[in-house]
Amino acid sequence: MAEIQGGGDSQGKGGKKRAKKQSTRVDMTPLVDLAFLLLTFFVLTSTFSKPKVLRMIFPEKIEDIPNIKKPEVKDAVTILVSGENRIFYYTGQISNTTAITEIDYTKDGLRKLLKEKNFQLLTELKKLQVKLNETDEKDTAAVNKIDREVKKLQKESKLVVLVKNDDKATYKNIIDVMDEFMITQVAKYFVTDDGFNAIEKKLVAQIPPKKQ
Amino acid sequence: MPKVKMPRSTPSLDMTPMVDLAFLLVTFFMLTSSFRSPEPVFVDPPASTTEKEIPKQVFLVTIDETGRVFIDITNAAVKEKVLRDMMVDYKVGLSEEEIKKFIGSGPLGMRLVELPSFLAQEAEKRAKIAEAAAGVPYDTANKIRSCELYNWVLKSRLVADNDFKMREAAAQEKNQSFDKDNYMQFVVKAAKDTRYETVKNVIDVLREARVSKFQMITGLEAKPE
Repeated sequence: MAEIQGGGDSQGKGGKKRAKKQSTRVDMTPLVDLAFLLLTFFVLTSTFSKPKVLRMIFPEKIEDIPNIKKPEVKDAVTILVSGENRIFYYTGQISNTTAITEIDYTKDGLRKLLKEKNFQLLTELKKLQVKLNETDEKDTAAVNKIDREVKKLQKESKLVVLVKNDDKATYKNIIDVMDEFMITQVAKYFVTDDGFNAIEKKLVAQIPPKKQ
Repeated sequence: MPKVKMPRSTPSLDMTPMVDLAFLLVTFFMLTSSFRSPEPVFVDPPASTTEKEIPKQVFLVTIDETGRVFIDITNAAVKEKVLRDMMVDYKVGLSEEEIKKFIGSGPLGMRLVELPSFLAQEAEKRAKIAEAAAGVPYDTANKIRSCELYNWVLKSRLVADNDFKMREAAAQEKNQSFDKDNYMQFVVKAAKDTRYETVKNVIDVLREARVSKFQMITGLEAKPE
């Protein structure tokens, strides 16, 4: 046992020599040492949570699909992702007079913008979510019905967001934007490969970088 | 006044409950933990709020900051078959022992011709070489179909499809339930600071091999609200 050696055991008193009572207790200190060593090892080496994944679906190569329609975009929001964590947006078609606004990745930037733009769908979805919470989980017919309604709403959603990036944008920037889409439940978004066009490049270059 | 004699007793502590607790925790961690798989490069993925977990069977494409590509297949049987196919195509000879070594050696990040000399090294040296390797070569232009990454992906997809069908047939024959979700999925793990263009180029190679669904590995981030 974990005990401090006291030294003076009761011996030598009296003449009779008794057989020393052997303690049956086992010293557990090394065992504890070992157990905690192992514990520390497992705590430090184990990966606690499995990594999470974000699903992305890319279209098949265009030559494989004949008669592909390019998405028609009228009142789309275009998000321009650039290097140094800069991000811009504009609505509608691009022209020399389009106002491009710089935003940021904080919740008052991109998320606020998307929430405002997607307000209609978000409120509808929230209503359905409340409905879903009220219905019994086992009632599959009702759950499926709500599911269908959600899908229908998403399909009819008017908001279309285009994401363009230039060659300076990092992977993190794109994932962050995707993540914001998930949070704000944007139903229709496209990431294009084309990069900025000439007008976009010019207009973005005119915006001075924010002072830190 | 006579001195009060304190009884001399040894301070002792019963440690049995502590040992019990410690071993309980050890058992818990042993059973729940999954070890980090060996990685030639440390890649720090960006975070997202998604809660979807990584699939069981994956073809993992790791892209580091500089654009090097490492590939790994979790299913050992598929990995072996794919390697054998690749060896025929690239005329690289490996012994049975070396093939076994390759399957246990984690992600691959080099040209196939470099593999025999790499596997001949000792384990410690191998880790260092793997760290400094140039990555699996890939092309972006017209030669996309002749690059090694494309062939790895294409062959893996075919072998995995075959493997899936065989397992399904075997399960049907024995009237066992069959997990339809347990098929190989393509998972991309890229570092935060990798340029998106690099990731896109790699994905283009995969798309060329008719893989269009990807799972991007991300760290966990708390959901707002």
